[in-house]
Amino acid sequence: MKSEEEVMSEALVRIFENVVLTEEKSLQAGYFSDLSIAEMHTLTAIGPYESRTMTKTAEDLGITTGTLTVAIDRLVKKGYVIRQRDTNDKRVVRISLTRNGKLACRMNSKFHRVLAKHILSGYNEKDRKHLLALVNEVDVYVAQQLRRYDGAVNVRKTAMEVAKDSKKENE
Amino acid sequence: MDDSRREQIYKEVIRILSADLEVSAEDIANDTNLNTELPFDSLQLYEFVIDLEEAFNVKLPDELLDQMKTVDDIVSLIMRLTEGK
Repeated sequence: MKSEEEVMSEALVRIFENVVLTEEKSLQAGYFSDLSIAEMHTLTAIGPYESRTMTKTAEDLGITTGTLTVAIDRLVKKGYVIRQRDTNDKRVVRISLTRNGKLACRMNSKFHRVLAKHILSGYNEKDRKHLLALVNEVDVYVAQQLRRYDGAVNVRKTAMEVAKDSKKENE
Repeated sequence: MDDSRREQIYKEVIRILSADLEVSAEDIANDTNLNTELPFDSLQLYEFVIDLEEAFNVKLPDELLDQMKTVDDIVSLIMRLTEGK
């Protein structure tokens, strides 16, 4: 019989992979088949409303501005993103979504909402609240682990520290 | 004053709706149900929403849209969001 840790760990990885895979397949079959999943996530990070700076968007996506520039070049060519110089500070580049970009972004949000709606619909109100509280705790914990790597010069060292702490928690 | 503003918003909503869905404005009434009586697919729904956002300079996130059932609901929401603008 599998241990609780194994069941949890396998389920976490599988959920993550299957959500991404389902998202990818729905993208390929839908109106925005010319977008990759990474490009869709870039559109979501820009958002359907106010324009954003390249720096802040790269930060939110956890990538460098250089990597974002390459992605934005492609999205501009595909007609999903508009790139403009800030009117007050010409050194700052701002990005926003075209009408098609907004449509893609909102359709993708809808995909996630429908998925969540279907998962929650199988539970009564009390269980839904309980499930959401537990999922939130998992989310907070994983985000905390991720933050430990922020700005870490030696990723291997940080990974060893995380493993050491986890070992302590289990003792 | 409110009545004439409502009438103006209603006319614009109907104009956008009939253009996006390619249906006659005469086939749409204030109590027309957006979910069951109009031939929307998800993409057309968001085209309509984005056009409304641009026309009235408002934000219509999904959380608000979920509560909208009829054309009248949309008009009331836009009235509320453009209050004092």
